[in-house]
Amino acid sequence: MSTATKRGRAEAARQAKEALAAQERKRRALFAGAVAVVVLIVAGLIGWAVWAGQKDGGDSGATPPAAGFTAGTGPVAVDIYADFMCPACNQFEQQTGPTVDQLAAEGKITVTYHPIAILDRFSNGTQYSTRAAAASAAAAEGGKFVPYLKALYAQQPAEGTDGLSDDRLVEIGRSVGLGDEFAATVKDGTYRGWAKRTTDAASERGVTGTPTIYVAGQELKDRSPAGLQAAVAAANP
Amino acid sequence: MTKQRTAAWPALRPWLGTLVRLGLAAVWLAAGFAKVGDLAESGRAVNAYRVMPFAAAEVVGAVLPFVEIALGLLLLAGVAVRVTAGVSAALLLVFVAGIASAWARGLRIDCGCFGSGGDLAAGADPAYLTELARDGGFLLLAGFLLVWPRTRLSVDAWIQGDK
Repeated sequence: MSTATKRGRAEAARQAKEALAAQERKRRALFAGAVAVVVLIVAGLIGWAVWAGQKDGGDSGATPPAAGFTAGTGPVAVDIYADFMCPACNQFEQQTGPTVDQLAAEGKITVTYHPIAILDRFSNGTQYSTRAAAASAAAAEGGKFVPYLKALYAQQPAEGTDGLSDDRLVEIGRSVGLGDEFAATVKDGTYRGWAKRTTDAASERGVTGTPTIYVAGQELKDRSPAGLQAAVAAANP
Repeated sequence: MTKQRTAAWPALRPWLGTLVRLGLAAVWLAAGFAKVGDLAESGRAVNAYRVMPFAAAEVVGAVLPFVEIALGLLLLAGVAVRVTAGVSAALLLVFVAGIASAWARGLRIDCGCFGSGGDLAAGADPAYLTELARDGGFLLLAGFLLVWPRTRLSVDAWIQGDK
């Protein structure tokens, strides 16, 4: 056997070994890729499952009487979506709230308040928006929604604080004439599930910020008293 | 000078890649953890883009934070970097398209990228340009890893027997 043939064999063996190693690297890379894809899919499924579980949990809880959130009996429907933690909502209430009350009292509009909770992340985990919306529902049940709303805005906590405690929410209720039943409803969190449902319903309708106001189904752009009056006049020929 | 540079680059690149990989991992982990605490809120942020029905937006909003966290962990460990970088780039392109379309349609929303969702306060202006520039930067990171997925201190390097 010549040395040349020997060398050729050694070279062939080396190449075969390298090809095998390359194949092995490829196999491992494919395996890692498959693992990564599976991990991502499983993570997504976990997200779905967690969300579905939370949604079921949020659906428990009573629904307050719808009539409690309306004022006036006029022909033009005015819908106000607001979060009790939202400074712009408070500003709207201070600036245009009296005009809303007046239009309702004059029988020009039927105003429906939709307290929603989109700013829960601004109360250090105490979910003030949800608790305040739920408390306002309890006030609606007690027939004192509008006075309670005004009292809550008058004492609005700053974003990024814990918000008002449940005890404080009860005290404010007592100050507008609500009683023990209201206190129990607030402390039990009876309407917190409802607050989440009404928030989802608002989002579904296209409400992406607060305050959002609809006059006869049209979103109100100019939220000043004059803007509201003009929109109501235009909707009521 | 030039010779030194060409010699330094192959040695430097895997380490630079490690930095890029960890950076992109941090982005995904931050984005995921910011949203995972309030899945309903995340769903509303997706719905604010108004590109899909609410029921679909809710699911996307719930799934997204978990996928982001998983991407972050995979990148952190360096598992299948080319695949995770590719998924990252694809996801970022979807985000960019979403923000650009919201801008084009004149919506006034926050991108919700890191948890603050959809709603914008009355006085606040949308920061679409900043959001797009930021996502563009993240896309560059993902692009780097797509082109050069081999990085130091990664599971990939370990299973491939890299030095």
